[in-house]
This record gives sequence, structure tokens and C-alpha cells, in this order.
Amino acid sequence: MADIFERLLHLDRRWIFLFVLLSVVAPILVPIGLPVDMTAPTRLAFDFIESLKEGDVVLISFDYGPSSAPENDPMVEAIMRHCALKKLRFVVCVLYPLGGLGLANNVVAKITREFPDLRYGVDYVNLGFKDGASAVMRRMGDDIAGAFPTDVNGKPLSQIPIMKDVHDLRQVKLVFTAATGIIGEWWITQVHPQVGTPVIIGPTAVGAPKYYAFLNSGQIVGMLGGMKGAAEFEKLLRDRYPRMETFYKTTRAFTATKGNDAQTVLHAVILLFLLLGNIAFFRHRRASARA
Amino acid sequence: MHLPHIGVWIAAFLTISALSFLYKDNPFFRFAENLFAGVSLGYFVGITLDQTLMPNLISPMRENFGQNWDLMVPGLLGLLLYMRYVPKVAWVSRHALAIYVTYYIGVDFTRRLNGEVMPQLARLIQPLSPFDLQTLFTLIYIVGVFSVLIYFFFSKEQGPITKRISRLGIWFLMISFGAAFGFTVMGRVALLIGRLNFLLFDWMYPILGL
Repeated sequence: MADIFERLLHLDRRWIFLFVLLSVVAPILVPIGLPVDMTAPTRLAFDFIESLKEGDVVLISFDYGPSSAPENDPMVEAIMRHCALKKLRFVVCVLYPLGGLGLANNVVAKITREFPDLRYGVDYVNLGFKDGASAVMRRMGDDIAGAFPTDVNGKPLSQIPIMKDVHDLRQVKLVFTAATGIIGEWWITQVHPQVGTPVIIGPTAVGAPKYYAFLNSGQIVGMLGGMKGAAEFEKLLRDRYPRMETFYKTTRAFTATKGNDAQTVLHAVILLFLLLGNIAFFRHRRASARA
Repeated sequence: MHLPHIGVWIAAFLTISALSFLYKDNPFFRFAENLFAGVSLGYFVGITLDQTLMPNLISPMRENFGQNWDLMVPGLLGLLLYMRYVPKVAWVSRHALAIYVTYYIGVDFTRRLNGEVMPQLARLIQPLSPFDLQTLFTLIYIVGVFSVLIYFFFSKEQGPITKRISRLGIWFLMISFGAAFGFTVMGRVALLIGRLNFLLFDWMYPILGL
């Protein structure tokens, strides 16, 4: 036994990488369906969207790029599905320069395939990308068409039916920002004080802790923290809408629920290695002191 | 069998090349790393030219110079930033930088004040009666903020009381760093899951005809 711990201290770290790889790949290939615990920020976000009325407009801002897509994609997809199921209209915009537009186009195409009843220009619109996020938000607070004169296809906003009811952010009932950096924070610290529109943020897990302060102060009405938050939201969708239960069980596409299994297994493996490493370290120290 | 398209093959190759660093440094990793840096920079330059400079500076001046001549001022300030690469006139770039920094401070100051400081303070000012769990949390926040501020107060040497308070501040900081680290691990794992999911379902499964 002592020998095992001694060998652990000198274990080539590549063995640990291999364990990490296996503990991620195995649950992806053979989903376990581990339970998803609910947290208050996600529940608050879901309940807020549930409280909106049919036809209300939600602004969905893609403030992330490919580097955090595995975390942000599932959450923004789940929010769009929720909008489609609740018959809320949604306006998509992109403020993140590095690849945000490509991701937005992919997600919109994916969701509209899932909900073929959605009509472009009537139920949703894609405004595309605009550089200078802070200034763009400021302008959108007073005049959305001033910031985005046309949609992603170059069509003037005045010719798009959904935008006839939406002149500025005051007519938007909710802003959802899927964010990887500071842009998401600007929706909270700049737009919310400017026009008072409620904000839900979907940050990457790295950024999530700081947004609890905004949640506590009432500056945001909910939060989906990283892939875990997205998995919770997917669970709430499944529970509320039976159609989603079937969808999430049968889809071959990547979802946060699938990722959640791998997250849990890998975290257990990390904890195990932490425990073993510490035991080995303290045993070695005690043995050295005796010697 | 429906083989994945060329883009998926390239993405799979680059993903494996990047991950190969975990075994040891190798030319494939170096190639992927340099390619990523180059493509990111090129993309960013392209998008800045196309989405910022063209619609906000070049096109308006080209289309109606009489009405938009004032755009020359920010345009010139932007050019002045590059003077730092000419040693003799490098000092000129500092003026442009000073204006840029001042402008940003002006914009950000109100944002921080209105969007962060005031709402967060307002949240903390709560009646103590009735004393419930929320009131207790508010008191913990107040103690936390106060003790951390004391820890970062370097203008005066700490006495026995302030030392104890700053020690408490360290505890609050450690707890917050621990939470941030936990979330960071979760975030990095999510990225790994995303890449492995791509390799398995978008690349390997189609090759195997699954």
C-alpha cells in the first residue's frame, strides 16, 4: 500500500491526462443520465421568461465566440427554444467580434429547423453584428435602427414587421446576453440603468461568480452559469414542456444535459486524484520526518 | 457512408494537434498554435476594417466629406497611435493615447458609478428589522467588503485591530478565489467536453458510418 502512494508521488502526469480523457469520453459515448440539481439563478431566469406574455419581444445578444461555444451555445439554444414554445418574438444581435456572427447564424438556423413554424421577420429577426459594443448598446437604448440600420441580410429594419413594434430597448421585455467577457456586464451596468430593461445573463463558468452580486442587487433577473446553468435550464424546459423531454432524449446534437454527465464524472475523478495526491504527500512528509 | 466535409477534417486535425501538447511539445502543436494566433489576428484586423473603419470613418468621408470632415480628428488620433514605432516622434502617440484613456475613463466612470457602485450600495442598505436570513447575509457582505478594503489599505501601518480585520479579509478573499477557481475548472472541463464531443460525433462517427 505504502509503495502505491510512493509511486503516486512520481506518477507521470500524462497518466492523469489519460484518466481525464477517459472520464470525459465514456459518459459522452454512454450517457448515464445523472440528475441535475437546480440552482436559484437558473430557476429565476426560467420563471421570468415564463411570466412573459405571448408576443412579447426578447432581445438575444450573442456576446461570445467559438472559444466558449460549448458553454454558451446550449444556453442560448435553450433560451430560443423557450421563446419559441412560449410564442415570444425574439431579436438576435451580435456584439462579439471574433466569430460571434457565425455562431449566431448557426444557432438561429438550428432552432428554426426545430421550429419550422417560426417566420423570419415576424417571429424573429437576426440583426447581425455591429462593432463597438458599448456604443451600440447606448444607441440601441434610444434607437435600435440607429445602431442596426439593416438586418443581417441587408434589409432595412423599417421593412421588417417585428421591428415596427420595437423602436428602442424600452419595448423589449427582456435582454438575454450569452457572454464570455465584459460585453455581458455592460448590458447590466449600462443598459439596465439607462432603460430599465430586465437582463438575464448566461456567462461562462469562469465569469459566473461575479454576477451573483448583480443578482443579489436585483440588477439581473436570472443567470445561467456555464454549462451547468444550461443543463438546469434544459431540465426546466423538459419538465414544463413534454415535447422537450422527447427532444432532449432523442437529439444527436450536443446539449448541456449530455455534457453534465461528463462534468460530474470528471469532477469525481479530479476529487479522487486530489485526495490520493494529498494522502501520498502527507504520508511521504511523515515518513521523511521520522527518518 | 457519408464522410465529413473538409472543414471538419481540418478542425479535427487542429484539435488533435492542440491536444497533442499534453503528451509533449511537438511540431503539430506549434503549427496549430501559430496558425490560431495568425488567423485570429487576421480575422480581427479584417473585421475591424470592414465593420468599424469602413462604415464609421472611410465611407462617410468618401460619400459626403463636407458634412463628415470632422471624422478626420478621430481618424488622425488613431493614426497618431502608430507614431510610437517612429522613435523620433514617438512622443506624439502619447497625446492620442491620453485622449483615448481620458475618454474611456469618462464613459466608464459613470457606468461604474450608476451601474455598479450605487445599485450595490443600495442593496446593502437594508433595515435590520425584521431580522431574517437575508439580513444576516447582508451583514456578512458588509463585514466581507469592509475587511477586504482594510486588507488593501496600505496608506497606514496596520495596528493590532486592523491586522485582525485584514486577516478576516484574507479569509473572504480566499473563499471568493476558491469559488472562482471551482467555476474555472468547470468552465475548462466544459470546453474539453465540447472538443471531444466534436471529435466523436462530427468527425469519428461519420467516418465509422454511425
